[in-house]
Amino acid sequence: MAPKRRFSLLAVLDEFFFVFAGIAAVWLAWLLLTESFRTGWWGIPVFIAFWGLLAYLVLPRIHRVLTTIYVPDYFIGRTRTSDGLLGDPINLALQGDEDAVHRAFENAGWRRADPVTLRSSWRIIVSTLTRRSYDEAPVSPLYLFGRMQDFAYQQEVEGNPAKRHHVRFWRTPVGWLLPGGARVDWLAAGTFDRAVGLSLFTLQVTHKIDADTDIERDHIISSIRSSNPAAVLEVLRDFSTGYHSRNGGGDSIRTDGDLPILDLTKSGRRA
Amino acid sequence: MNSSMHKHAPRKRSATEPIESLLGAEDTGSPRSKRPAATVIGVIFVLGRACAGVLWLTAFTLLWPEIAREVELETEIRPAVYSIFLVGGLIGVLLLVVLGIAIWRGSNLARVLVMLGLTLSISVAAIGYFANGEEITIRTTLLTVALDIIVLLALSSRDARAWARSSSRRRAAPRPRR
Repeated sequence: MAPKRRFSLLAVLDEFFFVFAGIAAVWLAWLLLTESFRTGWWGIPVFIAFWGLLAYLVLPRIHRVLTTIYVPDYFIGRTRTSDGLLGDPINLALQGDEDAVHRAFENAGWRRADPVTLRSSWRIIVSTLTRRSYDEAPVSPLYLFGRMQDFAYQQEVEGNPAKRHHVRFWRTPVGWLLPGGARVDWLAAGTFDRAVGLSLFTLQVTHKIDADTDIERDHIISSIRSSNPAAVLEVLRDFSTGYHSRNGGGDSIRTDGDLPILDLTKSGRRA
Repeated sequence: MNSSMHKHAPRKRSATEPIESLLGAEDTGSPRSKRPAATVIGVIFVLGRACAGVLWLTAFTLLWPEIAREVELETEIRPAVYSIFLVGGLIGVLLLVVLGIAIWRGSNLARVLVMLGLTLSISVAAIGYFANGEEITIRTTLLTVALDIIVLLALSSRDARAWARSSSRRRAAPRPRR
Protein backbone atom coordinates (compact mmCIF):
# COMPACT_ATOMS: atom_id res chain seq x y z
CA MET A 1 0.00 0.00 0.00
CA ALA A 2 2.56 2.51 1.13
CA PRO A 3 4.77 2.49 -1.98
CA LYS A 4 1.76 3.11 -4.24
CA ARG A 5 0.83 6.20 -2.27
CA ARG A 6 4.32 7.62 -2.36
CA PHE A 7 4.39 7.08 -6.10
CA SER A 8 1.30 9.20 -6.73
CA LEU A 9 2.69 12.01 -4.54
CA LEU A 10 5.80 11.92 -6.72
CA ALA A 11 3.55 12.06 -9.77
CA VAL A 12 1.81 15.20 -8.50
CA LEU A 13 5.18 16.80 -7.72
CA ASP A 14 6.32 15.84 -11.19
CA GLU A 15 3.42 17.69 -12.82
CA PHE A 16 4.17 20.71 -10.66
CA PHE A 17 7.85 20.74 -11.68
CA PHE A 18 6.87 20.30 -15.33
CA VAL A 19 4.72 23.44 -15.28
CA PHE A 20 7.02 25.39 -12.97
CA ALA A 21 10.00 24.72 -15.26
CA GLY A 22 7.95 26.10 -18.17
CA ILE A 23 7.13 29.32 -16.30
CA ALA A 24 10.73 29.69 -15.11
CA ALA A 25 11.94 29.24 -18.70
CA VAL A 26 9.64 32.06 -19.87
CA TRP A 27 11.21 34.28 -17.21
CA LEU A 28 14.71 33.23 -18.31
CA ALA A 29 13.84 34.05 -21.94
CA TRP A 30 12.72 37.51 -20.81
CA LEU A 31 15.97 37.99 -18.82
CA LEU A 32 18.02 37.03 -21.88
CA LEU A 33 16.03 39.32 -24.17
CA THR A 34 16.48 42.39 -21.96
CA GLU A 35 20.13 41.46 -21.45
CA SER A 36 20.69 41.27 -25.23
CA PHE A 37 19.63 44.91 -25.61
CA ARG A 38 21.92 46.02 -22.82
CA THR A 39 25.26 44.48 -23.71
CA GLY A 40 26.13 46.09 -27.05
CA TRP A 41 27.83 43.71 -29.49
CA TRP A 42 27.63 40.90 -26.97
CA GLY A 43 23.89 41.22 -27.46
CA ILE A 44 24.08 39.25 -30.73
CA PRO A 45 25.19 35.89 -29.24
CA VAL A 46 22.89 36.51 -26.27
CA PHE A 47 20.04 37.07 -28.72
CA ILE A 48 20.87 33.81 -30.53
CA ALA A 49 20.86 32.08 -27.15
CA PHE A 50 17.45 33.68 -26.55
CA TRP A 51 16.12 32.25 -29.83
CA GLY A 52 17.54 28.79 -29.06
CA LEU A 53 15.99 28.82 -25.61
CA LEU A 54 12.64 30.03 -26.96
CA ALA A 55 12.48 27.62 -29.91
CA TYR A 56 13.85 24.45 -28.36
CA LEU A 57 12.92 24.71 -24.68
CA VAL A 58 10.30 27.35 -23.85
CA LEU A 59 7.75 27.07 -26.67
CA PRO A 60 7.81 23.24 -26.76
CA ARG A 61 7.23 23.15 -23.01
CA ILE A 62 4.35 25.65 -23.21
CA HIS A 63 2.78 23.70 -26.08
CA ARG A 64 3.27 20.46 -24.15
CA VAL A 65 1.42 21.85 -21.13
CA LEU A 66 -1.41 23.47 -23.12
CA THR A 67 -1.99 20.70 -25.70
CA THR A 68 -2.34 18.18 -22.87
CA ILE A 69 -5.38 20.22 -21.91
CA TYR A 70 -6.97 21.09 -25.23
CA VAL A 71 -5.97 18.55 -27.92
CA PRO A 72 -8.16 15.43 -27.93
CA ASP A 73 -6.16 12.29 -27.22
CA TYR A 74 -8.29 9.88 -29.23
CA PHE A 75 -8.10 9.04 -32.92
CA ILE A 76 -9.12 11.96 -35.13
CA GLY A 77 -7.10 11.01 -38.19
CA ARG A 78 -4.16 13.19 -37.21
CA THR A 79 -0.79 12.43 -35.71
CA ARG A 80 0.72 14.56 -32.95
CA THR A 81 4.22 16.01 -32.64
CA SER A 82 6.41 15.41 -29.60
CA ASP A 83 5.07 18.74 -28.25
CA GLY A 84 1.50 17.46 -28.54
CA LEU A 85 0.57 19.67 -31.50
CA LEU A 86 -1.52 18.20 -34.32
CA GLY A 87 0.88 16.84 -36.93
CA ASP A 88 0.67 15.26 -40.38
CA PRO A 89 -2.69 13.70 -41.38
CA ILE A 90 -3.19 9.94 -41.41
CA ASN A 91 -3.82 9.31 -45.11
CA LEU A 92 -3.12 5.63 -45.72
CA ALA A 93 -4.03 2.29 -44.16
CA LEU A 94 -2.47 -1.11 -44.80
CA GLN A 95 -3.30 -4.77 -44.25
CA GLY A 96 -0.60 -7.36 -43.78
CA ASP A 97 2.15 -8.34 -41.39
CA GLU A 98 5.27 -6.28 -40.84
CA ASP A 99 7.38 -8.34 -43.27
CA ALA A 100 4.85 -7.78 -46.05
CA VAL A 101 5.00 -4.02 -45.53
CA HIS A 102 8.81 -4.03 -45.54
CA ARG A 103 8.94 -6.17 -48.68
CA ALA A 104 6.39 -4.06 -50.55
CA PHE A 105 8.16 -0.77 -49.85
CA GLU A 106 11.65 -2.15 -50.50
CA ASN A 107 10.44 -3.60 -53.83
CA ALA A 108 9.08 -0.18 -54.76
CA GLY A 109 12.44 1.51 -54.18
CA TRP A 110 11.77 3.09 -50.81
CA ARG A 111 14.49 3.19 -48.16
CA ARG A 112 13.82 2.56 -44.49
CA ALA A 113 14.71 5.57 -42.32
CA ASP A 114 17.32 5.10 -39.58
CA PRO A 115 16.15 5.73 -36.02
CA VAL A 116 17.19 9.09 -34.54
CA THR A 117 20.42 8.45 -32.64
CA LEU A 118 23.58 10.43 -31.96
CA ARG A 119 25.26 8.56 -34.78
CA SER A 120 22.55 9.18 -37.40
CA SER A 121 22.26 12.85 -36.33
CA TRP A 122 26.00 13.19 -36.88
CA ARG A 123 25.62 11.59 -40.31
CA ILE A 124 22.93 14.13 -41.23
CA ILE A 125 25.24 17.02 -40.34
CA VAL A 126 28.14 15.50 -42.28
CA SER A 127 26.04 14.68 -45.34
CA THR A 128 24.51 18.16 -45.38
CA LEU A 129 27.92 19.83 -45.15
CA THR A 130 29.54 17.59 -47.77
CA ARG A 131 26.37 17.62 -49.92
CA ARG A 132 26.41 13.84 -50.11
CA SER A 133 23.13 12.00 -50.12
CA TYR A 134 21.95 10.06 -47.08
CA ASP A 135 19.16 7.78 -48.31
CA GLU A 136 18.28 6.44 -44.87
CA ALA A 137 18.22 9.80 -43.07
CA PRO A 138 15.99 9.59 -39.98
CA VAL A 139 12.59 11.30 -39.85
CA SER A 140 11.33 13.28 -36.88
CA PRO A 141 9.08 11.43 -34.45
CA LEU A 142 5.32 11.79 -34.75
CA TYR A 143 2.90 10.16 -32.34
CA LEU A 144 -0.27 8.12 -32.79
CA PHE A 145 -1.94 5.98 -30.10
CA GLY A 146 0.46 7.71 -27.70
CA ARG A 147 3.58 6.26 -29.27
CA MET A 148 6.17 7.08 -31.86
CA GLN A 149 5.98 5.64 -35.37
CA ASP A 150 7.12 2.01 -35.57
CA PHE A 151 9.20 2.72 -38.66
CA ALA A 152 9.34 5.05 -41.64
CA TYR A 153 10.23 4.84 -45.32
CA GLN A 154 11.50 7.56 -47.62
CA GLN A 155 12.58 8.39 -51.14
CA GLU A 156 15.15 11.08 -51.76
CA VAL A 157 14.62 13.61 -54.49
CA GLU A 158 17.76 13.58 -56.56
CA GLY A 159 20.51 15.87 -55.36
CA ASN A 160 18.42 17.77 -52.87
CA PRO A 161 18.57 16.88 -49.17
CA ALA A 162 15.81 19.41 -48.40
CA LYS A 163 13.23 17.52 -50.47
CA ARG A 164 12.04 13.97 -49.91
CA HIS A 165 9.04 11.70 -49.92
CA HIS A 166 8.42 10.07 -46.58
CA VAL A 167 5.81 7.94 -44.87
CA ARG A 168 5.54 6.88 -41.23
CA PHE A 169 3.82 3.69 -40.01
CA TRP A 170 1.99 2.78 -36.80
CA ARG A 171 0.72 -0.68 -35.95
CA THR A 172 -2.88 -0.34 -34.75
CA PRO A 173 -3.68 -1.77 -31.29
CA VAL A 174 -5.12 -5.30 -31.21
CA GLY A 175 -8.86 -5.25 -31.85
CA TRP A 176 -8.95 -1.54 -32.59
CA LEU A 177 -11.38 -0.38 -35.30
CA LEU A 178 -11.31 2.70 -37.49
CA PRO A 179 -14.20 5.13 -37.12
CA GLY A 180 -16.91 3.41 -39.17
CA GLY A 181 -15.82 -0.05 -38.09
CA ALA A 182 -13.15 -1.16 -40.58
CA ARG A 183 -10.23 -3.11 -39.14
CA VAL A 184 -6.74 -2.37 -40.49
CA ASP A 185 -3.30 -3.55 -39.37
CA TRP A 186 -1.35 -0.37 -40.04
CA LEU A 187 -2.00 3.34 -40.31
CA ALA A 188 0.42 5.58 -42.14
CA ALA A 189 1.04 9.27 -42.72
CA GLY A 190 2.77 10.23 -45.98
CA THR A 191 3.91 13.77 -46.74
CA PHE A 192 6.38 15.42 -49.06
CA ASP A 193 9.15 17.60 -47.58
CA ARG A 194 9.58 20.49 -50.00
CA ALA A 195 12.02 22.81 -48.19
CA VAL A 196 13.72 23.63 -44.91
CA GLY A 197 12.28 26.51 -42.89
CA LEU A 198 11.17 27.70 -39.49
CA SER A 199 8.23 26.14 -37.71
CA LEU A 200 5.37 28.57 -37.19
CA PHE A 201 4.55 27.28 -33.71
CA THR A 202 7.96 26.68 -32.17
CA LEU A 203 10.35 28.71 -34.43
CA GLN A 204 12.53 25.58 -34.76
CA VAL A 205 14.37 24.73 -37.96
CA THR A 206 12.29 22.05 -39.65
CA HIS A 207 11.11 20.63 -42.97
CA LYS A 208 8.16 22.37 -44.61
CA ILE A 209 5.71 19.95 -46.23
CA ASP A 210 3.75 20.22 -49.44
CA ALA A 211 0.21 21.39 -48.70
CA ASP A 212 -1.55 18.90 -50.99
CA THR A 213 -1.05 15.69 -49.00
CA ASP A 214 -3.28 13.77 -51.43
CA ILE A 215 -0.56 13.96 -54.12
CA GLU A 216 1.91 12.21 -51.81
CA ARG A 217 -0.70 9.65 -50.77
CA ASP A 218 -1.42 8.79 -54.41
CA HIS A 219 2.32 8.71 -55.21
CA ILE A 220 2.89 6.13 -52.47
CA ILE A 221 0.02 3.97 -53.69
CA SER A 222 1.01 4.07 -57.34
CA SER A 223 4.64 3.25 -56.54
CA ILE A 224 3.60 0.26 -54.42
CA ARG A 225 1.05 -1.02 -56.92
CA SER A 226 3.36 -0.77 -59.92
CA SER A 227 6.01 -2.95 -58.24
CA ASN A 228 3.65 -5.21 -56.26
CA PRO A 229 0.91 -6.19 -58.72
CA ALA A 230 -0.79 -8.49 -56.19
CA ALA A 231 -1.49 -5.61 -53.80
CA VAL A 232 -5.22 -4.94 -53.57
CA LEU A 233 -6.49 -1.40 -53.20
CA GLU A 234 -9.71 -0.46 -51.51
CA VAL A 235 -10.67 3.15 -50.82
CA LEU A 236 -12.85 4.38 -47.98
CA ARG A 237 -14.40 7.35 -49.79
CA ASP A 238 -14.87 10.44 -47.64
CA PHE A 239 -13.42 8.67 -44.61
CA SER A 240 -12.96 12.13 -43.15
CA THR A 241 -14.51 15.26 -44.56
CA GLY A 242 -12.29 17.14 -46.96
CA TYR A 243 -10.48 19.75 -44.90
CA HIS A 244 -7.64 22.14 -44.74
CA SER A 245 -5.68 22.70 -41.61
CA ARG A 246 -2.11 23.10 -40.42
CA ASN A 247 0.38 20.48 -39.33
CA GLY A 248 2.72 20.65 -36.32
CA GLY A 249 5.13 22.98 -38.10
CA GLY A 250 2.36 25.37 -39.10
CA ASP A 251 2.34 24.31 -42.79
CA SER A 252 -1.08 24.28 -44.35
CA ILE A 253 -2.42 20.90 -45.44
CA ARG A 254 -5.49 19.96 -47.42
CA THR A 255 -7.04 16.66 -48.36
CA ASP A 256 -10.19 15.29 -49.98
CA GLY A 257 -10.66 12.96 -47.00
CA ASP A 258 -10.41 9.60 -48.79
CA LEU A 259 -8.55 6.82 -46.96
CA PRO A 260 -7.05 4.14 -49.22
CA ILE A 261 -6.44 0.70 -47.72
CA LEU A 262 -3.62 -1.27 -49.35
CA ASP A 263 -4.01 -5.00 -48.81
CA LEU A 264 -0.57 -6.61 -48.92
CA THR A 265 -1.55 -10.00 -47.50
CA LYS A 266 -1.59 -11.63 -50.93
CA SER A 267 1.44 -9.88 -52.34
CA GLY A 268 3.61 -10.84 -49.38
CA ARG A 269 4.87 -14.22 -50.57
CA ARG A 270 7.95 -13.96 -52.70
CA ALA A 271 7.74 -15.85 -56.00
CA MET B 1 -25.71 4.66 -10.10
CA ASN B 2 -24.02 5.56 -13.26
CA SER B 3 -20.92 3.63 -12.38
CA SER B 4 -22.86 0.45 -11.63
CA MET B 5 -24.50 0.68 -15.04
CA HIS B 6 -21.08 0.91 -16.59
CA LYS B 7 -19.97 -2.20 -14.77
CA HIS B 8 -22.74 -4.30 -16.30
CA ALA B 9 -22.52 -2.89 -19.81
CA PRO B 10 -20.53 -5.06 -22.23
CA ARG B 11 -17.00 -3.78 -22.51
CA LYS B 12 -16.41 -1.96 -25.73
CA ARG B 13 -12.96 -1.06 -26.81
CA SER B 14 -12.55 2.70 -27.09
CA ALA B 15 -9.63 4.81 -28.11
CA THR B 16 -9.79 6.85 -24.89
CA GLU B 17 -8.69 3.92 -22.78
CA PRO B 18 -5.27 4.46 -21.26
CA ILE B 19 -2.78 3.34 -23.82
CA GLU B 20 -1.27 0.70 -21.51
CA SER B 21 -4.50 -1.25 -21.29
CA LEU B 22 -5.24 -0.70 -24.96
CA LEU B 23 -2.01 -2.26 -26.11
CA GLY B 24 -1.58 -4.92 -23.46
CA ALA B 25 1.44 -5.25 -21.22
CA GLU B 26 3.73 -6.92 -23.74
CA ASP B 27 2.77 -4.63 -26.59
CA THR B 28 3.59 -1.21 -25.09
CA GLY B 29 6.56 -0.83 -27.38
CA SER B 30 10.08 -1.61 -26.31
CA PRO B 31 10.63 -0.53 -22.71
CA ARG B 32 12.79 2.57 -22.77
CA SER B 33 15.94 0.98 -21.55
CA LYS B 34 18.16 3.60 -23.13
CA ARG B 35 18.92 6.68 -21.05
CA PRO B 36 17.33 9.72 -22.73
CA ALA B 37 19.46 12.73 -23.64
CA ALA B 38 17.56 14.93 -21.17
CA THR B 39 18.67 12.72 -18.27
CA VAL B 40 22.27 12.74 -19.47
CA ILE B 41 22.29 16.56 -19.72
CA GLY B 42 20.72 16.86 -16.26
CA VAL B 43 23.35 14.60 -14.69
CA ILE B 44 26.23 16.40 -16.42
CA PHE B 45 25.08 19.75 -15.02
CA VAL B 46 24.46 18.35 -11.53
CA LEU B 47 27.99 16.92 -11.48
CA GLY B 48 29.26 20.20 -12.97
CA ARG B 49 27.75 22.00 -10.01
CA ALA B 50 29.61 19.62 -7.70
CA CYS B 51 32.88 20.47 -9.51
CA ALA B 52 32.12 24.17 -9.18
CA GLY B 53 31.58 23.53 -5.46
CA VAL B 54 35.03 21.94 -5.17
CA LEU B 55 36.60 24.93 -6.96
CA TRP B 56 34.75 27.29 -4.66
CA LEU B 57 35.96 25.40 -1.57
CA THR B 58 39.55 25.48 -2.86
CA ALA B 59 39.39 29.21 -3.48
CA PHE B 60 37.79 29.64 -0.08
CA THR B 61 40.60 27.69 1.61
CA LEU B 62 43.30 29.74 -0.15
CA LEU B 63 41.65 33.06 0.66
CA TRP B 64 40.51 32.11 4.16
CA PRO B 65 43.29 33.95 6.12
CA GLU B 66 42.46 37.14 4.25
CA ILE B 67 38.70 36.77 4.67
CA ALA B 68 39.07 36.05 8.38
CA ARG B 69 41.19 39.20 8.82
CA GLU B 70 38.69 41.33 6.91
CA VAL B 71 35.66 40.31 8.92
CA GLU B 72 37.76 40.68 12.10
CA LEU B 73 37.16 37.19 13.37
CA GLU B 74 38.87 36.40 16.67
CA THR B 75 41.93 34.19 16.22
CA GLU B 76 40.86 31.36 18.54
CA ILE B 77 37.53 30.66 16.80
CA ARG B 78 38.92 30.91 13.26
CA PRO B 79 39.65 27.15 12.83
CA ALA B 80 36.16 26.28 14.11
CA VAL B 81 34.41 28.65 11.68
CA TYR B 82 36.58 27.43 8.84
CA SER B 83 35.83 23.78 9.51
CA ILE B 84 32.09 24.50 9.65
CA PHE B 85 32.28 26.04 6.16
CA LEU B 86 34.50 23.23 4.88
CA VAL B 87 32.39 20.38 6.27
CA GLY B 88 29.17 22.04 5.11
CA GLY B 89 30.59 22.56 1.63
CA LEU B 90 31.92 19.02 1.40
CA ILE B 91 28.57 17.57 2.49
CA GLY B 92 26.89 19.67 -0.22
CA VAL B 93 29.33 18.48 -2.89
CA LEU B 94 29.01 14.87 -1.75
CA LEU B 95 25.21 15.13 -1.83
CA LEU B 96 25.29 16.47 -5.39
CA VAL B 97 27.61 13.65 -6.50
CA VAL B 98 25.46 10.97 -4.86
CA LEU B 99 22.24 12.43 -6.33
CA GLY B 100 23.84 12.79 -9.77
CA ILE B 101 24.95 9.15 -9.78
CA ALA B 102 21.53 8.03 -8.50
CA ILE B 103 19.79 9.90 -11.35
CA TRP B 104 22.22 8.36 -13.82
CA ARG B 105 21.30 4.91 -12.53
CA GLY B 106 17.60 5.66 -12.86
CA SER B 107 16.42 6.70 -9.38
CA ASN B 108 13.15 8.63 -9.61
CA LEU B 109 13.40 9.83 -5.99
CA ALA B 110 16.82 11.41 -6.60
CA ARG B 111 15.44 13.17 -9.67
CA VAL B 112 12.53 14.62 -7.68
CA LEU B 113 14.84 15.70 -4.83
CA VAL B 114 17.16 17.53 -7.22
CA MET B 115 14.18 19.22 -8.89
CA LEU B 116 12.95 20.29 -5.45
CA GLY B 117 16.32 21.90 -4.72
CA LEU B 118 16.39 23.61 -8.11
CA THR B 119 12.85 24.93 -7.61
CA LEU B 120 13.86 26.46 -4.27
CA SER B 121 16.98 28.02 -5.76
CA ILE B 122 15.07 29.46 -8.75
CA SER B 123 12.29 30.74 -6.46
CA VAL B 124 14.80 32.56 -4.25
CA ALA B 125 16.33 34.23 -7.32
CA ALA B 126 12.90 35.14 -8.70
CA ILE B 127 11.74 36.63 -5.39
CA GLY B 128 14.94 38.67 -5.22
CA TYR B 129 14.35 39.89 -8.77
CA PHE B 130 10.65 40.72 -8.59
CA ALA B 131 10.23 41.76 -4.94
CA ASN B 132 13.60 43.29 -4.09
CA GLY B 133 14.61 44.53 -7.54
CA GLU B 134 17.92 42.65 -7.55
CA GLU B 135 19.66 42.78 -10.92
CA ILE B 136 20.20 39.49 -12.76
CA THR B 137 22.72 40.13 -15.53
CA ILE B 138 25.60 38.24 -17.10
CA ARG B 139 27.92 39.89 -14.62
CA THR B 140 25.93 38.73 -11.61
CA THR B 141 23.90 35.53 -11.36
CA LEU B 142 22.34 35.10 -14.83
CA LEU B 143 24.48 32.05 -15.64
CA THR B 144 23.60 30.25 -12.40
CA VAL B 145 19.88 30.98 -12.81
CA ALA B 146 19.99 29.91 -16.48
CA LEU B 147 21.71 26.60 -15.64
CA ASP B 148 19.27 25.90 -12.81
CA ILE B 149 16.30 26.44 -15.13
CA ILE B 150 17.77 24.38 -17.98
CA VAL B 151 18.52 21.45 -15.63
CA LEU B 152 14.98 21.69 -14.24
CA LEU B 153 13.57 21.65 -17.80
CA ALA B 154 15.71 18.62 -18.66
CA LEU B 155 14.92 16.59 -15.54
CA SER B 156 11.19 17.38 -15.64
CA SER B 157 10.82 16.47 -19.34
CA ARG B 158 8.51 13.59 -20.32
CA ASP B 159 11.46 11.52 -21.56
CA ALA B 160 13.44 11.84 -18.34
CA ARG B 161 10.34 11.16 -16.27
CA ALA B 162 9.23 8.10 -18.20
CA TRP B 163 12.71 6.60 -18.10
CA ALA B 164 13.25 7.24 -14.38
CA ARG B 165 9.84 5.83 -13.48
CA SER B 166 10.16 2.71 -15.56
CA SER B 167 13.69 2.00 -14.38
CA SER B 168 12.68 2.60 -10.75
CA ARG B 169 9.84 0.14 -11.25
CA ARG B 170 12.11 -2.35 -12.96
CA ARG B 171 14.51 -2.25 -10.04
CA ALA B 172 11.70 -2.52 -7.51
CA ALA B 173 10.00 -5.45 -9.22
CA PRO B 174 12.47 -8.33 -8.61
CA ARG B 175 12.74 -7.54 -4.90
CA PRO B 176 9.91 -9.80 -3.56
CA ARG B 177 11.18 -12.80 -5.49
CA ARG B 178 14.60 -12.67 -3.88
